[in-house]
Amino acid sequence: MIHFYHVTKKFDLYSTALQDVTFHVEKGEFVFLTGASGAGKSTLLKLILRQIRPTEGQIVVNGRNLNAMKRNHLPFFRREIGMVFQDFKLIERMTVFENLSFILTVLNVAPREHKKKAYQVLRAVNLHHKLNAYPPQLSGGEQQRVAIARALINDPLVLIADEPTGNLDPDLAQEIMQIFGDAHLRGSTVLLATHDRDLIQVSGRRTLVLDQGRLIEEKPAVVERPARTDGVFGLS
Amino acid sequence: MPRDLREPDTPSNTVSYFVREAFRRIWVTKRTSFVAVAMIAMSLFILGGFVLVADNMERAVERWQGKSHVNVFLDIEAAPDQIRAVDGFLASHPDLHTRHFVTRAQALERFKTYFVNLSQVVDQLDENPFPASFEVEVTPRIIQSPGFPAEMKALRSMSGVEQVQFDWEWLNRLRRLIDIVNAVGLTAGGILAVAAAFTIANVIRLTMLTYREEIEIMRLVGATERIIRGPFLIEGILQGAIGGFVAVGLLFGTFVLAQRLLAPSNSLLWSFLFIGFLPWQKIAALIAGGMLAGWIGSWLSVRERVTEEA
Repeated sequence: MIHFYHVTKKFDLYSTALQDVTFHVEKGEFVFLTGASGAGKSTLLKLILRQIRPTEGQIVVNGRNLNAMKRNHLPFFRREIGMVFQDFKLIERMTVFENLSFILTVLNVAPREHKKKAYQVLRAVNLHHKLNAYPPQLSGGEQQRVAIARALINDPLVLIADEPTGNLDPDLAQEIMQIFGDAHLRGSTVLLATHDRDLIQVSGRRTLVLDQGRLIEEKPAVVERPARTDGVFGLS
Repeated sequence: MPRDLREPDTPSNTVSYFVREAFRRIWVTKRTSFVAVAMIAMSLFILGGFVLVADNMERAVERWQGKSHVNVFLDIEAAPDQIRAVDGFLASHPDLHTRHFVTRAQALERFKTYFVNLSQVVDQLDENPFPASFEVEVTPRIIQSPGFPAEMKALRSMSGVEQVQFDWEWLNRLRRLIDIVNAVGLTAGGILAVAAAFTIANVIRLTMLTYREEIEIMRLVGATERIIRGPFLIEGILQGAIGGFVAVGLLFGTFVLAQRLLAPSNSLLWSFLFIGFLPWQKIAALIAGGMLAGWIGSWLSVRERVTEEA
């Protein structure tokens, strides 16, 4: 599902964010990406979403070579990926519902369906009572869950999250992890970047360890992978 | 096998989204939007003003062109025999036989009617200063016929004839004036429309800066450039349309006001400028012009922005 072949990313002559990284994430896997701050986790996720291009190497996501992808194909490719950003990237002037409705507009879902689908996905993250709230009116954890709901609304083939539990208390972090676990059970391939080692240890998932831009270790999973089922939100 | 990414990007609900968003953005940036709308309205008002004047002059020309006159002014002291001779001359020429004799008293009355303010001045004179005349109705075809100048020359040389005037030359001058009015209007309006388009471009650019973060989010969640650009283009078109409607409204208000203030009674001087307001086709063209300027303005800034991102 996600394949990196000798990927290097340099921002300038003196800063190498990723150095010769090669790894493969298979369909239906749940993989952690970990490493200290500045190890290259966010850069790697940006490469998967093709926010940036690699300096060297090849990246293939869902059967598509990102290096060869045309600019006008990019939006359609991104619709297959659910991304949870570290800073949430919610549109502040829009309500929770409007943040989700916008995605449905992009996906050409009939407006009469928007409320139903938004409610369903918000119920999954236990935030259905905040449909009409604006992001600044929500706590950090609630904003995080809205960001996850937005990523999940399309039943994405690949779900990527950048530090989704950062700055959250352990109970809330566990709740967030449960949501990702549910998405994984529904069949999404999940790649989750975090520096929370306890979280990784408890989960027992396969883990990629980055250090100063190099992939230094791959820890195998100790739990079985689930098979993909039909999307719960009916958009797969 | 991965899905084909070249699927058509024509969400059915995007048009309503574009319009909704465009209105909302105009409202959010209402101060800058007001400047853009005012610029469009001002340029279209000036252009429309020239078009309105030219249009009325055109209509006046058309009216007069249909029944042009040759005025044969007689000597104040012309003898009845001389007047009969002139009448006979006109009657003998098929092109000039549709004629009407205006006595000195009738000429004086007409003057008093046309120029109400000057009637008192005329009344103070000892003697009626207006000569009698023959008004001969001729068609433009006759005036342009090769024999017409000779006929006029013969008429001028008759005793008792003081002056022969025909309004064809005057109409030609008026036509040239209409051309000038049109040219000045188009030039001034065109320059202002270009300025308005650039104002709209800057307003849209400011709006895009305001929404920079939002645009980035939209791109990341899979919105196409069409979906991102759409509301900005509609915003420009809406600003242009609002400017167009405002301009037409102002123009109509000014026209009605001027008609009341400047055209009392039957003043010949002004009446031909107030024959009527612009026809609906020209009103539609003005509004469409505003929309076009708005679209060009927003397209310029959206295009620039996309090039930057590429």
